[in-house]
Amino acid sequence: MADIVRKLAAIDPRIIYLVMGLAVLFPILVPIGLRVTITPPTQSAFDAIEKIAEGSRVLVSFDYGPSTSAENDPMAAAILRHCFARNLKVVSIALFPVGGDSVARDQMLLAAKEFPDKKDTVDYVNLGYKDGGQAPMKLMATDFKAVFPTDAAGRPYDSLPIMQDVKSYKDFAIAETLATGIIGEWWANLVNAQFHLDVVIGATAVSAPKYYAYLNSGNAVGLIGGLKGASEYEKLLVEKYPQFEGAYKQAGVLTATKGMDAQNIAHLAIVFFILIGNVFYVLMKRSRRAGDAA
Amino acid sequence: MIQAWIAAFLTLAIMSFLYKDNPVFRFAENLFAGVSLGYFVGIVLNQTLKPNLYTPLVTDFRGNWDLLIAGGIGILLYFRYIPKVAWMSRFALAIYIGYYVGVNMLQKLQGEVLPQMQSALKPINGFNAASLNNLIVFIGVLAVLCYFFFSKKHEGAFGRFATLGIWFLMVSFGAAFGYTVMGRVSLLIGRLNFLVNGWLMHLLGR
Repeated sequence: MADIVRKLAAIDPRIIYLVMGLAVLFPILVPIGLRVTITPPTQSAFDAIEKIAEGSRVLVSFDYGPSTSAENDPMAAAILRHCFARNLKVVSIALFPVGGDSVARDQMLLAAKEFPDKKDTVDYVNLGYKDGGQAPMKLMATDFKAVFPTDAAGRPYDSLPIMQDVKSYKDFAIAETLATGIIGEWWANLVNAQFHLDVVIGATAVSAPKYYAYLNSGNAVGLIGGLKGASEYEKLLVEKYPQFEGAYKQAGVLTATKGMDAQNIAHLAIVFFILIGNVFYVLMKRSRRAGDAA
Repeated sequence: MIQAWIAAFLTLAIMSFLYKDNPVFRFAENLFAGVSLGYFVGIVLNQTLKPNLYTPLVTDFRGNWDLLIAGGIGILLYFRYIPKVAWMSRFALAIYIGYYVGVNMLQKLQGEVLPQMQSALKPINGFNAASLNNLIVFIGVLAVLCYFFFSKKHEGAFGRFATLGIWFLMVSFGAAFGYTVMGRVSLLIGRLNFLVNGWLMHLLGR
């Protein structure tokens, strides 16, 4: 028995990687459709958009790159669909250097394709990437045009109908940041704290725990945490706007809801490994003690 | 389709590290570092320097001449590569650090310290879930602060309260670990979904 435990405890980690890979792969090939439950932070994020008056401007900041697109893309898609379904005007920017501009462009193009009645520069615009982090965020509070003299396509600010009369954060109803790393924090502790613009944070799971503190302090009005948060948002969106059901059931397209199947199976595998690792640890300790006593 | 092939090859090349370190993995890793840097330089040139510095100076020099000061300070940073005038880069660095220290001081105080203090001291009104939560947060904050207070020896009642702080910290580390696992698994889901639905299924014509 002791020998078997010792052998299993020294198992090649590559076998564990393989099991994890299969645990994730299986639900991708055969979707299970596990239930998604709604948590208050995501409900608040959804309600924040619901409360805005039709025709208001929403500032969507793409503060992530392709490295976390598996988590942030579903959030972005759901938020843009929500905004367009509610006839809100979307102004997108990007503050994340490596890929922020590309994901902003791709997500805005995808959303625009789904809503052919929405006109570029009238109902939405992509202003592109700006370097400097907090510096442009501070300047946007007083002079939006100075930060974005043109949009991402190079069209002058004054020629964009959607940006007419936009001088500062005051001309937006809410800011939605889709964030990886520290930029999401700046929206809460700089833009909300100093300029009082409501902020919803769509964060990667790794950084989600720290955002609960901002949610608790009122510096964020909603939080979408990782793939789980995104799946909740998708559920809320489909419940309220059934026209999106088809988009989320499309075969071959990864949605957060489908991703959560894989996530749950992977978590079960991890819990199993943690339990079995601890059992082996205790058994080995006992057998070592028995050996010492003998 | 060629894009899907390149992406699939690079994904598999990076994943091959799980088996063992190999030249294909190192090639993909170095390629990623190089492409990221090139992308960053291109994006900053096109989307920040061009619209915010170059174009305003070319189209309306009189109205925007002050941008030369900002541009000049930026160029000073690169003087560090010329030994004779390397000292000049310190001026730019000093301005840069000074600006961000000033921004961060106010930002941390106004956006973190004060709101977090306020949210740690929420009222306890009656016997309900919200009050219990507020009480736990209040005790947790005090206990963790005691743990990080090293001017007094951790013994007796103070020591036991500081130990309670460790328990609160452990719970928060556990939550952070759980979320981290979720984040990393999400990335694997994204890549495997691409390999299956974005590459293999197309390859099989399905």
